[in-house]
Amino acid sequence: MSARIEALGVAKRFGPVVALDALSLEVAPGEIFGLIGPNGAGKTTFIRILTGYWLASEGDVRVDGVSVTRERFRVQARLGYACEQPKLYADHTVDAFLRFMAEVRGLGGARLRAAVGLSVERMGLEPVRRRRIGVLSKGFRQRVALAQALLHDPALLVVDEPTVGLDPAQQIELRRIIAGFRGTHTVLLCTHQLHEAEMICDRVALLDRGRLAALATAEEFRAGGSLEALFLARVGRESAAGGAA
Amino acid sequence: MIRRVLALAKKELRQLFASPIAYVVGTAYVALTGIYFFQHLVGYNQLLFVYQSEGLTGGGFDQGTVPSQINVLNEVFVPSADDFGLFLLVVLPLVTMRVFAEERANGTDELLLTSGLRPWEVALAKHAVTYLFVLLLLAGSAIYPAVVVARAGLGFEHLLALYIGQLCYGCAIASIGLACSSFTASQIVAAVLGYAIPFVLLDFAWLSNTVSEDVAARLREIALLSHYGSFARGVIELANVVYFASIVFVGWLASLTSLELGRAR
Repeated sequence: MSARIEALGVAKRFGPVVALDALSLEVAPGEIFGLIGPNGAGKTTFIRILTGYWLASEGDVRVDGVSVTRERFRVQARLGYACEQPKLYADHTVDAFLRFMAEVRGLGGARLRAAVGLSVERMGLEPVRRRRIGVLSKGFRQRVALAQALLHDPALLVVDEPTVGLDPAQQIELRRIIAGFRGTHTVLLCTHQLHEAEMICDRVALLDRGRLAALATAEEFRAGGSLEALFLARVGRESAAGGAA
Repeated sequence: MIRRVLALAKKELRQLFASPIAYVVGTAYVALTGIYFFQHLVGYNQLLFVYQSEGLTGGGFDQGTVPSQINVLNEVFVPSADDFGLFLLVVLPLVTMRVFAEERANGTDELLLTSGLRPWEVALAKHAVTYLFVLLLLAGSAIYPAVVVARAGLGFEHLLALYIGQLCYGCAIASIGLACSSFTASQIVAAVLGYAIPFVLLDFAWLSNTVSEDVAARLREIALLSHYGSFARGVIELANVVYFASIVFVGWLASLTSLELGRAR
């Protein structure tokens, strides 16, 4: 079960600041699609519009033809979202949190228990299931964030900066988990880490100052050398330096 | 829909009682109301003693009799209701300041509002749990008055009216605090507004010298205290209940508006 995303001239303005400028792109079902770009490129803004958290100033995003502007709750029912710097309830245990999120997703009884059990198993959370989220390592918190996003078996998984601040072993593990969704779920992965996008994405959109600067398949950016080469060519060293700052 | 609201309400309850603030506020409120109620009771007993003592003569009173206006209702319940109302005003913003502002500050509002929860469900669950907390506070503080009612044969309806009044008043104060909390990510700002707005609405006596009689009369009509006083005297007026219910509704609507406005930022 996977979903198609269509962004149709999406713009977002905060007063005089243009965060997204007529962004149009399409993500095919089952694809792992990367969103990369320097800080302030509009990646998180696009994700927040796609998830219905923010309203676009112009344009629309459709998930399987359903408009997020008009029917955001139908879109939200089809997507799971693990946001940047996992925003979780630190005073809940992993189990209590996942149960809460499953109930919010409309699950109950045996379906709830099965969904929580499956998410815990998928994300390797069994050893920490009874522990408070506040005392978990960042790696485990990221896994909890992903686990809650998967509870209702969404067609679309939106993941924002999943490996920031993780140690190399945790990064490798999380990438392996995300790559495992290829073909079964559509994944929209927003990342700063070019090598990460290079490793697991089927296609990558490079955003710069709210615009689509480049769109390339894995073969295309590998043929051009690397994603880093594409990034430097399209965004420029100045922006790249700013983005890295 | 009900499952989602109940899930969120359970989460809110868990968070409320996971923090020390609920226990501190609850203990302080029950202790303060107990102490003040006891003080009024002692004062009433002293009055009875004075009037019934043999030394009191003249002043229009017969020796050993107690004037009709000196009764447990006027000497204990009415002043206690004023004190209890003030205590609610002091403690409730400490509870409401966290409810929305903390979600916003921690970014967990993004988690809630992208998981299929309707903003009205979020606002409803948060408001309902806070009102439940108000109810728990009042239940804890009802022990002393209940004993007096039982002993003095005052009539259960007086106690019921007093506590319905307090519940209405407390929910209105909480609703204002929740609305304030929903518009900011700062708990301090939420608390300051949660104190300032009810204090302004409490009564408009401070404005009466600067506005015309007509305006002053209108302002008195919308003042919180104008609608609270009758409950302590054992009178439940529908108009007063509707007044407090309107504040609760407006508070909920303000929270809902804030959640929707956040989307259009």
